[in-house]
Amino acid sequence: MALISPTILALRRDPRLLKLPPYLSALCIFIGAVWLCLLPLNEYSRRTYISENALLPGQVHTYFGGSEQNVFNAYKYEVQALVGKDQEAISTKLSDIFESAGLRPARQKYEYHAAGNTYSGENVYAILHAPRGDATEAILLVAAWTNMDGILNQSGVALALALARYFKRWSLWSKDIIILITGDSRAGPQAWVDAYHDEHSSPFVAPLPLKSGALQGVVVVDNALDHRFESLHIVYDGINGQLPNLDLFNTAVSIASGQLGIGVSLQRMWKHNDSYQERLQTMLRGMFSQGLGYSSGPHSSFVPYHVDAITLQAVGDGWQDEMAMGRCVESIFRSLNNLLEHFHQSFFFYLLMQADRFVSIGTYLPSAMLVAVNFTIMAIALWIRSGRPPAPKVASTMPEKQNPEMEIVQENNMTAITPKENLTILERQLFLPVTLVVSLHFLGAIPLYVFINSSHNTLPLYFLLFTFLNFFQPTVLATLIHRHTPLTPQHHLLLQSFSLLVLGIFLATLATLNFSLSLFVGLLSTPLSFTGNPFSSSVDAKDAIPSKTRQHIWTLVLQLLSPPVVVWAVCYIWGADLGEMLAEAAFGWKVNGLWTQVVIWCVWWPAWTVGGILVNPLL
Amino acid sequence: MKHISCLLLSLLLGLLVSADPKYKELLNLQPLNPASLLASFNFKSNASLQSYEQQHFKYIPRSLGQILQHAKTRELHLRFSTGRWDDESWGARPWGGTKEGGTGVELWAWVEGDSDADSFARWVTLNNALSGLFCASLNFIDSTRSTRPRMTFEPASSVFNASSENLYLLHGSLPREVVCTENLTPFLKLLPCKGKAGIASLLDGHKLFDASWQSMAIDVRSVCPENGSECSIEMEQTVDMVLDVDRSKRPRDNPIPRPIPSEHLQCDQSKPYAGDEACYPSDANLGQSWTLAEIFGRPIQGSCLAEDSYGQLRDSVCINVPHEREVNLYGDAVETKNEAGTSRCFAIPASNPFELVLSHIGPQTFNKVSQPPLYASRSFTGHGQERGGVQTLLTNPSTSSSIQFVYFETLPWFMKPYLHTLTARLTTASTTSPDIIEETFYRPALDRRRGTQLELLISVPADSAVILTYDFDKAILRYTEYPPDANRGFDVAPAVIRLLPSSGNSSSNSQAPLYIRTSSLLLPLPTPDFSMPYNVIILTSTVMALAFGMIFNLLVRRFVGADEVEGWNLAALKAKARGRVAVLVDRVSGKGQKLEKTVQ
Repeated sequence: MALISPTILALRRDPRLLKLPPYLSALCIFIGAVWLCLLPLNEYSRRTYISENALLPGQVHTYFGGSEQNVFNAYKYEVQALVGKDQEAISTKLSDIFESAGLRPARQKYEYHAAGNTYSGENVYAILHAPRGDATEAILLVAAWTNMDGILNQSGVALALALARYFKRWSLWSKDIIILITGDSRAGPQAWVDAYHDEHSSPFVAPLPLKSGALQGVVVVDNALDHRFESLHIVYDGINGQLPNLDLFNTAVSIASGQLGIGVSLQRMWKHNDSYQERLQTMLRGMFSQGLGYSSGPHSSFVPYHVDAITLQAVGDGWQDEMAMGRCVESIFRSLNNLLEHFHQSFFFYLLMQADRFVSIGTYLPSAMLVAVNFTIMAIALWIRSGRPPAPKVASTMPEKQNPEMEIVQENNMTAITPKENLTILERQLFLPVTLVVSLHFLGAIPLYVFINSSHNTLPLYFLLFTFLNFFQPTVLATLIHRHTPLTPQHHLLLQSFSLLVLGIFLATLATLNFSLSLFVGLLSTPLSFTGNPFSSSVDAKDAIPSKTRQHIWTLVLQLLSPPVVVWAVCYIWGADLGEMLAEAAFGWKVNGLWTQVVIWCVWWPAWTVGGILVNPLL
Repeated sequence: MKHISCLLLSLLLGLLVSADPKYKELLNLQPLNPASLLASFNFKSNASLQSYEQQHFKYIPRSLGQILQHAKTRELHLRFSTGRWDDESWGARPWGGTKEGGTGVELWAWVEGDSDADSFARWVTLNNALSGLFCASLNFIDSTRSTRPRMTFEPASSVFNASSENLYLLHGSLPREVVCTENLTPFLKLLPCKGKAGIASLLDGHKLFDASWQSMAIDVRSVCPENGSECSIEMEQTVDMVLDVDRSKRPRDNPIPRPIPSEHLQCDQSKPYAGDEACYPSDANLGQSWTLAEIFGRPIQGSCLAEDSYGQLRDSVCINVPHEREVNLYGDAVETKNEAGTSRCFAIPASNPFELVLSHIGPQTFNKVSQPPLYASRSFTGHGQERGGVQTLLTNPSTSSSIQFVYFETLPWFMKPYLHTLTARLTTASTTSPDIIEETFYRPALDRRRGTQLELLISVPADSAVILTYDFDKAILRYTEYPPDANRGFDVAPAVIRLLPSSGNSSSNSQAPLYIRTSSLLLPLPTPDFSMPYNVIILTSTVMALAFGMIFNLLVRRFVGADEVEGWNLAALKAKARGRVAVLVDRVSGKGQKLEKTVQ
């Protein structure tokens, strides 16, 4: 230790060290990207396992079948008969069915306004009291009246009603069971769970007349098919990329595939034959969905409340009937019923690449962190460069031959001779860069506000307009700044340094909350690290401004990777309608508390704008 | 009505005085709705105060009597309960809620003592002794779980004046305690017939603990008749349970509710799709029939000390069904029907099994359930691990009279309420109404020493509901203070509500207090990852090893000046390395030569 430190101190001012950061930064990005691609390999991912011993999935015999099929069929006829009826008729009928099963029904009306649309409806639910319970804990069975695609969830609703009647006969429940039929798949569950925790926005969302205890688990059944199904599609993404406990997912998988022999798929990967490409594809789809953070099913709204929830969706055309799905739900509920504690044993941060393979946060986090760290490294390097005085040309080329100018320093009777270069202080002019970076980050509130509060008819037009304006915006800003105060090379360095510093901090923090979003924004912003001529042989400030040709190339690259262009590209690749997507985002913000757009407009877009200004040839 | 009740009361008192039974028992069966049945068992034992003080025990059990004498306890109320009373469908509570406790175990007693500390020491003694007697964790009622309520409880004994006789009221509850068979067995042992004969023979652990709601109570108090005769000590044991008739009738050897064969399904044939594939179930289980043996697993095994001092049999089983409904008996019992037409009672002779069959008739054969005077429901609001809120909805269903009550809550010390956030408002109003809470008694918590005690005197106007809310912070516990299964959360004891007689009809209500308890709550606290200590140990060990290594290194190393070191520069090092390599190369080549030599 003692021997190394003088060496390090001697290296501190070595120009070679100052040339290192860009390479280090590039290496970080490279390792980060490669790391992600390694994750699906057997060596880096793990097989899933049940961590909470109390769950005992699939250890009980399931009895839902036999004459319950007749009851289910009758309920399905009742549900089909309600098609086209108004909300009042539907709610009354559902309440009647609950009452005839010996459960007390309750209703909740809700109404949301987002992007000029009104989302309203009514939730009907009933609480099956645990025979010896005291209303401290509850598990929830949800069936939305219409599923995520807006199709009537006929078998799902009928199944929930039949199960309610069936569960009533058992005396072994240790927790209350709440059976909830929501009006739709997005707004209804959100209204219900908000009101359950008394965090609803009245008067648009009514309070709940009946309540039970702490929610321990939620299972959503979604079966809009009118025929037998082939496999179960398990959806698990929550709002803002939060995930339910892995134990709940594993329980469902182990019961469906292990106990009942129903195939399980996830992330819409209907065919999965365990190859590297398919694992990677599943993982990337999961990451996309996590990164966007939108509601992927009725279960999504529960996850932010630390209530673990999954959706079981019947897909395909096969030989599994609704009773099999019912037995699956029954067995999951028996497992949840065993729980002594809230789900806490297994992982909350994971990436699934197959129904029985995952990587946990410890394994995948480094990749996003490395990408985020590259910005911080560059920010520090730029800060150091911005404070370096312009060195004499000769000194840098032949340091041994030339005697550098020396100066005598005296302090407390001690005298030392140091090179003059070490003692010169270069003042950094911070005002302009700091103001510019901070104000640009606040400027992000404007697109955020516009895209949240516009109506869905005008959204595509506004976005088109914004894309157009955004194309010229760096140039306009650069001209304005140049006219006001011409930027010095040091300004350049500081501006980029601060911008990258903020980006690095934001992304590193975000990586622990929403890994995928952080990684995607990080990867799309990587050019910002290298716009300022970092690989040049000189480390002087005046070489920070790239040549005109390079500026043109960088401008082109940045324009291709601008936030609006990326949004357009995502819509094009997915075949999604831009207006719908923006309306969805506005709905997510207003109803679900989605903050993906905050990251885009207040973190990414300002960083991109600074990058755009810096490479502008006009400057 | 008022007159009749007064008359009945005086008649009852007259009976008590004249017959002076030392022990009596009564089972009251009340079908609540088609699917459930309320069974109230009541056992009353008496002894004169004199014989009690001389330790002459007959019907009062010696085990309990001696504990009470040792702990100088004058009045005791002990409750074991599970489940919740569903007052929307079952109506008012049995005994006006006086014989029930909150979920788990609840205990309150008047203890003699010279000071607070003295009484508390005896309270601890009492808890420890009762803990052993009833196989319950009553010894965990420590200072953090004990309170001294001011307004909620009043002594049931007619002899003492609490303040003049140095009596202290202490109250404690264990909401997490699971009540089960091990508590029932000692409870039955206190009875004179030990559950072998009389109505107690119906108390079977399997059936009792399969009930939807059940409560076991022990009350010991002293009674002094107004006519000045000798004071006596009275012990009352009560078991109330609400049984699910369907569930109870299920045979014990086949308890799994398998789907019934489809030909036995009761279908609604009026549906257009009615056929062999689809069956809309019709409500077929209205007013179903049952027998005692079906519900309780066995018939009553004779009676227990049912004859009074004149050799007359006393009624020991009553059933509250309208007279139109047929009740068949097996065994010779004497039936008496009451005049109002709502109930009938049976006196059972000793040593004969008694069986009762309630016939199946239409849905109108139930007595109407009475409306409870108040609905109370309490829940947590908010989410997260730092803070939360409690919300209690108190509904007065009466359309004519307002209601006044004491709301009593004890909170554990790690739940820190903010009293300034305590608000009460009518559901119809958006702002707080200052006149709802009339009086507040608040004793703040001390960390790890005592819990919060909150007593509020509240009045709710007729036909309206009040929402009572307050916010609280969650404390972080020490590592060792977490119970097993810490991630389950922490139970918060139910709130106790004591309804005060309204000024209008005080004459009839003043004698009978009414109590309501809310359900308990589960409070999630920030819980550490308990595998963390191992990580911490590993990390600490690493840091210690590093520190030790560096210090050891500095201690044993010989320091020399930089100029004293020979050839400490890169060139010397390179030369040295080169030398080593050269030696190595030489050696290898030399060996090669040697090898060659040996080959030659």
